[in-house]
Amino acid sequence: MKGYMGKILRVDLTTGDIQHEDIPDEVYENYLSGVGLGAYYLHKHIPAGADPMGPENILGILSGLLTNTGSLMTGRWMAVCKSPLTGGWGDANCGGTLSPVIKQCGVDGIFFSGISPKPVYLYMDSEGAELRDAAHVWGKDAVEAEEILQEECKTKKKPKVAVIGQAGENKSLISGIVNDAGRISARSGVGAVMGSKRLKAVVLQGSGKTEIADSEGMKAYSKEMATKIKNANLPKFFKGFLFPYLGLLMSKQKKVSAMDGMLAAMMFKKFGTIPVNTMGMTNGDCPVKNWGGSVVDFKKKKYKKLNPDNILARETRKYHCFSCVIGCGGICDIHDIKGGKYTHTHKPEYETCSSFGCLSLNDDLDAIFYINEMLNRAGMDTISAGNTVAFAIECFENGILTEADTGGIRLKWGDADAIIALLEKMINRDGIGDVLADGVKAAAQRIGKGAERFAVHVGGQEPGMHDPKLDPLLGIHFSDPTPGRHTIGGAVYYNAMYLWKEVSWAPEVTKHLKSEEYIPSDKEALKSIATSAYKTLTDGAGGCFFAMILGVDHWNLFQMLNLATGWDLSADAYMEIGKRIQTARQLFNTKHGVEPRDSIPSGRVKGDPALTGGALKGITLEIEEMVRLTWKNFGWNETTGVPEDKTINDLQLNGLIE
Amino acid sequence: MRISVYCYEPREPASGACPMKIRVYAASFCSFEDIDMDGYMVLPDGAVLEDLFKRLQVPWLFRRIVIATVNYKKVGLKTRLKDGDVVSFFSALGGG
Repeated sequence: MKGYMGKILRVDLTTGDIQHEDIPDEVYENYLSGVGLGAYYLHKHIPAGADPMGPENILGILSGLLTNTGSLMTGRWMAVCKSPLTGGWGDANCGGTLSPVIKQCGVDGIFFSGISPKPVYLYMDSEGAELRDAAHVWGKDAVEAEEILQEECKTKKKPKVAVIGQAGENKSLISGIVNDAGRISARSGVGAVMGSKRLKAVVLQGSGKTEIADSEGMKAYSKEMATKIKNANLPKFFKGFLFPYLGLLMSKQKKVSAMDGMLAAMMFKKFGTIPVNTMGMTNGDCPVKNWGGSVVDFKKKKYKKLNPDNILARETRKYHCFSCVIGCGGICDIHDIKGGKYTHTHKPEYETCSSFGCLSLNDDLDAIFYINEMLNRAGMDTISAGNTVAFAIECFENGILTEADTGGIRLKWGDADAIIALLEKMINRDGIGDVLADGVKAAAQRIGKGAERFAVHVGGQEPGMHDPKLDPLLGIHFSDPTPGRHTIGGAVYYNAMYLWKEVSWAPEVTKHLKSEEYIPSDKEALKSIATSAYKTLTDGAGGCFFAMILGVDHWNLFQMLNLATGWDLSADAYMEIGKRIQTARQLFNTKHGVEPRDSIPSGRVKGDPALTGGALKGITLEIEEMVRLTWKNFGWNETTGVPEDKTINDLQLNGLIE
Repeated sequence: MRISVYCYEPREPASGACPMKIRVYAASFCSFEDIDMDGYMVLPDGAVLEDLFKRLQVPWLFRRIVIATVNYKKVGLKTRLKDGDVVSFFSALGGG
């Protein structure tokens, strides 16, 4: 037992019963920890047809197999559950400093079932765990609640806290779980599940160590990697104004090639994720005007206000997540914005800038800072909320919603005050906010009158802010068992990961025509399968997506797993584990009645109708065929997406589904 | 298992006139003809960055404006390369 703790904590919130449970080694050998252990446990213990907001649903909060092992960029924690947003598999993950403390408390994960009769929080340290009354923090936003709980549970050091805000308490299906004063595990409606269980927070205070097989080897590998990243810096002249031109160059490229993933580290170190704010406007990555517009609708005069330099101008300090050497995070001073309601906020991610920028044609950067802090505190997913606001604006523009429906708010493109007013209603489920608080699919069903034609979602979840018409492989990944997720992969990432150097069946990339990536083929399908298998391994290990895209030349997950566990497995053997986890997630969906076909991107996301302007003008993806080939090559039924019996047998998943 | 432990620290220069192996992460406008399957290019001892650009068939004008790093540092065209150096061409790669 090296690298993992070998046990979990089970909490029945209905009865208050708390038990440790030993997990056999073979479970870790087959599923790793993190999302893999979560998939194994939820598959076994959530009955088919369980109500996602009922007592039978289970919420898991897990660390990764590599977390706290001395490895680098492996500090993410996972939330898993049956998603109330999609009705199928739900997961979300987040960085910060929470993940290692789960293992320092002696477990790999905590699984909550049942529903508490009153608001509670779980306190856990190395000695044990107990449920405590949370009446005094129920109703508080996530940042306030975290501060109060840290103070009252403080011993020698402040504990780490995962907590829901008002959106989770109000069971908004687009709410998440917050840690580190505003970082959020946002997707799949994991916050709503926590709220439905009346579980306000998890407070962890641990100090235990995690034994690994080869600590000297891990130390040497981490030191070498840290040196490389420390030395990798963008030239000083590299400023934010360059990104629109880089995007333009990218859009003109006829050929693409494998590239050095370390360049991503250089970008993330200096800027974080925000270069895409403007680069994505010229290459088409940014969805505009509820996915129906382009840079023509949000011209340079507007998008240049979201120049990353303007955001860095407010950055007062940078920070790193646990075990990270890149440090893409930052804290920004916003005390002068909107009357000084908030003093500071986490540097808004690209996703937030885009979902409340070009998606609703809003060029008010101050408003984006404000919305970022407001939603982080409420614990609401900015991606889903941004898509929902854009949907509502388009409904209003087309007369489907009126001022009578919105409580007097005149919704129009680019009106930041109206957007903020609408979001406040969504957080509090007030009037029109109650209609919109569960995302676009539910909202369209409630509104009727043809509103569904403006509801952009994939399998029930709003897509991330990357247009797959720029990168069709990303579109295939949108059909993941957690549909609509953008942090799985894409061709641009595959070209930097060099998986083909380690994995015998991963297609090699040298130089090729960009247009080849638009043609459905077995090669593109295999790239997708390799990426998704490696990503599930990354999520099982607690790894960061931004580390993953450095590529195996710089961040070799296979090597780190062997150093931690001593298993001495080949890369191909690890990829079988990745495929097993991915297939287990797909089987969870089919067990719960989710049709995989419903998660294939359609409508505006695939380019139906095609955009009439911008870099992606006229493109409609053959996404159904691309997904069909991916399923076929995975050993899933190419028509239905249901894993074939032979695949289930080969991946030794029979025991899981019996 | 084929694990490539990546050696970042540039190795000592080869003695005499031994050829150098340079790890090259080229851009799509480069010629890949002289890059081997593992991503390395062999250059004679004493070669400078501009020599590598020539082998990659980077147009003369581009050589002065392209963003390329040696061991992730921006250097001049006349910088002498060493065995084990890493040359990367900048390609925008971000995420969110």
